[in-house]
Amino acid sequence: MKVIEIRGLTKRFGPVLAVDQLSFAVEPGEVVGFLGANGAGKTTTLRMLLGLVRPDAGTATINGHAYADLSEPLHQVGAVLEASSFYPGRSARDHLRVQALAGQADPSRIDEVLELTGLTGAAGRRVGGFSLGMRQRLGLATALLTDPDLLILDEPANGLDPDGVHWLRDLLRGLAAGGATVLVSSHILAEVAQTVDSVVILDRGRLVAQSPLADLTAGERNLEDAFFKLTKEASR
Amino acid sequence: MNSFHRPGTGAISADEKGSLTRLVRVELLKLRTTRLSYGLLATAAGLTALFSVLEASRAGPGKAVAPLYTTTGLTAVITGGVWALLLAAVLGVTVSSGEFRHATATQTYLATPRRGRVLAAKAVAAACAGAVFGLAGYVIAAGTGLVFVAARGYRVPVGDATMARYAIGHVVAAALLAAVGVALGSLIRSQLAAVIGVFVWAIVIESLLGGLFNAIQPYLPYTAATTLAGSPLGGAAFGPAHDAATAAVPLPFAAATALIAGVAILLSAVASRTTVPRDVT
Repeated sequence: MKVIEIRGLTKRFGPVLAVDQLSFAVEPGEVVGFLGANGAGKTTTLRMLLGLVRPDAGTATINGHAYADLSEPLHQVGAVLEASSFYPGRSARDHLRVQALAGQADPSRIDEVLELTGLTGAAGRRVGGFSLGMRQRLGLATALLTDPDLLILDEPANGLDPDGVHWLRDLLRGLAAGGATVLVSSHILAEVAQTVDSVVILDRGRLVAQSPLADLTAGERNLEDAFFKLTKEASR
Repeated sequence: MNSFHRPGTGAISADEKGSLTRLVRVELLKLRTTRLSYGLLATAAGLTALFSVLEASRAGPGKAVAPLYTTTGLTAVITGGVWALLLAAVLGVTVSSGEFRHATATQTYLATPRRGRVLAAKAVAAACAGAVFGLAGYVIAAGTGLVFVAARGYRVPVGDATMARYAIGHVVAAALLAAVGVALGSLIRSQLAAVIGVFVWAIVIESLLGGLFNAIQPYLPYTAATTLAGSPLGGAAFGPAHDAATAAVPLPFAAATALIAGVAILLSAVASRTTVPRDVT
């Protein structure tokens, strides 16, 4: 069974067609880069997949079910959508306590994910004082609390310093080696090229390409060249 | 069997009851780890103390407030506790609108995609916290009154049963108003607008309506809540509504409770059909 299956997904915000008849699927154990320029519809697609935004048409399922119908959703899917969505007055540890209770995670996981994301020393600090990079780490820590088999990450490298990007890459590789499926969106192509097995490319809400990374970059200098060629062709 | 169950179509299964209990615990943990909750409680306590002391010090024969050896005088002091009711409603507003102010609704709905349950859990959790506000308001207001009564060497003019009713009234009224606040904050997602709405409704609109149309005064929800807490009809209002010579009498305890609970349920139902299902972007 496909882990993620998106069929004919469409969403319009007023006059803007954000996502247009989008279809693609993700197989178990794949690390998939979800690529597109800012405004291509990546975030809207992920939010529809996660039941936060209602599609105008089409379906998006995880393990064969709509997100709202998943039993214990956080044990199946961990998502990091935006780095700023924390209550600023709460400490990182308290934030994780709330999420562990909500997601029925073992409280002992809190220390583990803090360690894993390098936040142990900052656990008692209020999130309002965190840098963007620390918030990204806390978002990842939150998603990993429940040890899900599928991770959905929206621009996780935003705000990370070069060390952080390196750390993120290692983390994703480690998760993939452990058998996790990862869908990671990005507009920074170089960053993704070193991590993913395959890519889904989106341009103005439409699917431009889905293919293994190796096939896509064959005959091109790098992923960036392949990306621009494809999106240029699509806009003709 | 559970797999066929859909919320709202039948009895709540043991599983769902368990999950609702957990959701309430999540919301209570959020409240306990939020400085704003403690700030609002401190504000409620401070305003109650201030107004109770002011009323008590203005009381006496021929003064603005009836002497503290009369039921009217002591009740006027205990009316200071209505600030806890008002702040409980504000707390309720922050419980729901805070999720949008800080964009935490995303994580909340990822953990619990059934948004109606989140709203219900928030209402229950806010009501629990509201009960604490009500109790604090009563203890401070009644305590202030009794200290002044003792200091002036009077006998307590209000019986134990009535005092107990005032205490329970504070707790019930504050709990229900907190649930109303949750519903209001879900409807008006802007925290500032919803908080202003609570004050304008309670202090301005109900005072105006109550002053202009005495007959409907007992049925105004905030006014009904204040009478539950022992305040005379209009006692917590401003302007003409405060001393309106009216033939109207406060609603009985059960009726006032049902009225405020009804407002909370009605507003929650409207919110869960309008604003709650909206896209979280």
